[in-house]
Amino acid sequence: MAARNALLGFLERFDRRWIFLAMGLAIVLPLLYPLGLPADPSPMVKAVFYAIDDLPAGSTVLVSVDVDPASRPELEPFFHAAVRHLKKKGCKLVFLTLWYQAPPLVEHWIKDDVESASFPGDRPYRSGEDYVWLGFREGKAVVIAGIGQDLAATFNGQDAAGTPFAELPVLRGFARLADFPLIVLVSAGAPGAKEYVQLVQSRYNLKIVAASTAVSLTDLTPYYQSGQLLGLAGGMVDTAEYEILVARFLGLDPKEGVGAKALDVLNIGHLVVIFAIVLGNVIYFAGRRR
Amino acid sequence: MHTLPWFDVVGFWIGIFLTFAILSYLYKDNPFYKLAEHLFVGVSIGYVITQQYYNVIKPNLLERLAPAHWTDALRPSVYWIPLVLVALLFARMVSRRIAWLGRYPLAFVVALYAGIQINAVAESDLAEQITVSTRSPIVPKKDVNDPATTVRDLASLPGFTPAVAEKVVAARVAGRRYGSVDELADTPGLTSAQRQDLRDAIADFHGLAAQAAVEPGHHDGFAIASRIFLLIGLCASLVYFYFSAPQTGALGKVARFGVYVLMVGFGASFGSTVQGRLALAVGRAMDVLDKDKSPELAAQIHGPAVSIASIVVILVGIVVWEKVYLPRHPRP
Repeated sequence: MAARNALLGFLERFDRRWIFLAMGLAIVLPLLYPLGLPADPSPMVKAVFYAIDDLPAGSTVLVSVDVDPASRPELEPFFHAAVRHLKKKGCKLVFLTLWYQAPPLVEHWIKDDVESASFPGDRPYRSGEDYVWLGFREGKAVVIAGIGQDLAATFNGQDAAGTPFAELPVLRGFARLADFPLIVLVSAGAPGAKEYVQLVQSRYNLKIVAASTAVSLTDLTPYYQSGQLLGLAGGMVDTAEYEILVARFLGLDPKEGVGAKALDVLNIGHLVVIFAIVLGNVIYFAGRRR
Repeated sequence: MHTLPWFDVVGFWIGIFLTFAILSYLYKDNPFYKLAEHLFVGVSIGYVITQQYYNVIKPNLLERLAPAHWTDALRPSVYWIPLVLVALLFARMVSRRIAWLGRYPLAFVVALYAGIQINAVAESDLAEQITVSTRSPIVPKKDVNDPATTVRDLASLPGFTPAVAEKVVAARVAGRRYGSVDELADTPGLTSAQRQDLRDAIADFHGLAAQAAVEPGHHDGFAIASRIFLLIGLCASLVYFYFSAPQTGALGKVARFGVYVLMVGFGASFGSTVQGRLALAVGRAMDVLDKDKSPELAAQIHGPAVSIASIVVILVGIVVWEKVYLPRHPRP
């Protein structure tokens, strides 16, 4: 009994910084020494892959990249994988963002993956002909409602570099959201996938796939279950699974992707969190009984 | 090899140093943490102000009001309206007696967003979600041999895609009759990956074998149980929010069950949140260890070496701060 009380006393005085240290090790060690734990893409993620894969070659796809630096680890791998997937299908790309924090990130990613060859057999895309970056437009939900009706009016008829829409061959025949065969949302929060579904998906019967942060996943899953989203990849795990599917499609090594490298860390990290929750409950209930 | 400009390399180094400066808060509040915190707040505000000015105020207001000639300065324009509305926001700074004027622009914004959202949410969140939640609980298996089973029906099955569904329908039209669900993987024209996906999907207890059949009259037991549970859980959750009668007796028990259903939902949200927060830490760890960069970039940045240097600088700095600075400058 005395030993048990001593143990409980020790646990009650347990410095929470040991948990931080354990979590730090759980993150760093699997990165340095990868375990290669298996990953089986979920149906929701496969649905994203197949929605893009079933596009006719050469389609023009709208990609709304609504991200900020905090969501970068979860969504950047998805963006790269989706762009490679779309480029492999020969799709033309129209990028825009509703988040003021996004332009520096998106411009950097476009430079890396769109304007450069990003996988064997790929070619650099030319601005205006193969892709266009419309940039950021303030207004949140109002912008979504606006591009549902008129893309040019919402973006003052020009792309981020000031080129008039009339001089952008990639936009010929694409005046509003309903003209695009698929809309890909890389969505860190509001405004994002939820607002697209609420404001324009039902109204114009749009085909939309989305990648979101893990925090938004439970909000968005009902939209996938009801068919309002054709596919949904939520958080780093789903992003990694999609990255693996695209790597297989492109004939690349799936384990080399950034998301795939993070999967080991998430698995071990979650074990630490579960252990901490169990430990906390043991201390709480044992202390209450005492 | 792509060579980074020196300022980009220094930028990566500053990012690594600031990461450890923020993490130093785990020890205690200290000058390195304060430096990183103030930098973050300052840079964020500066960025927001410039973005809003150059993306909103300048193109949408100032440039539209800017006269081509001084004589046009007072020419009537609809763009004076937003300028006046913005000015009204500051009325309370002039006098408390005219502070009420500031409510008009706010009312305008609230009404605008309410107008946009009300119909949209009613349609997408209420109508669509109620339609899905109240579907018939009797779910027949999809008969792959039935000519009435369309590509769209088949595409929703586990392991299927629209492309696979089209091939199955094409095989059926060509006279193929499936003797069992396992035979779907032998459909002509499928790729090896598609065949494997179909075989993997059969293995699940709520997978392809549970949802598809080769003859009519079979039901999907998992889907039936799932829909009944969804309906009961939905009703019980709504009962919890029914406050017009005391939640005692049978009503109380149903409401209690509703609470458990809600708790499951909150648990799922908590799990997702944990994953999201962990992803943030993973992102920073990959950045400082150069695991998210190509070998060429990593060779120019030397993330692990800079990390060790940053940790040493911060540790030495905190020791000096505690042993030398604080004794001479005690906090009140």
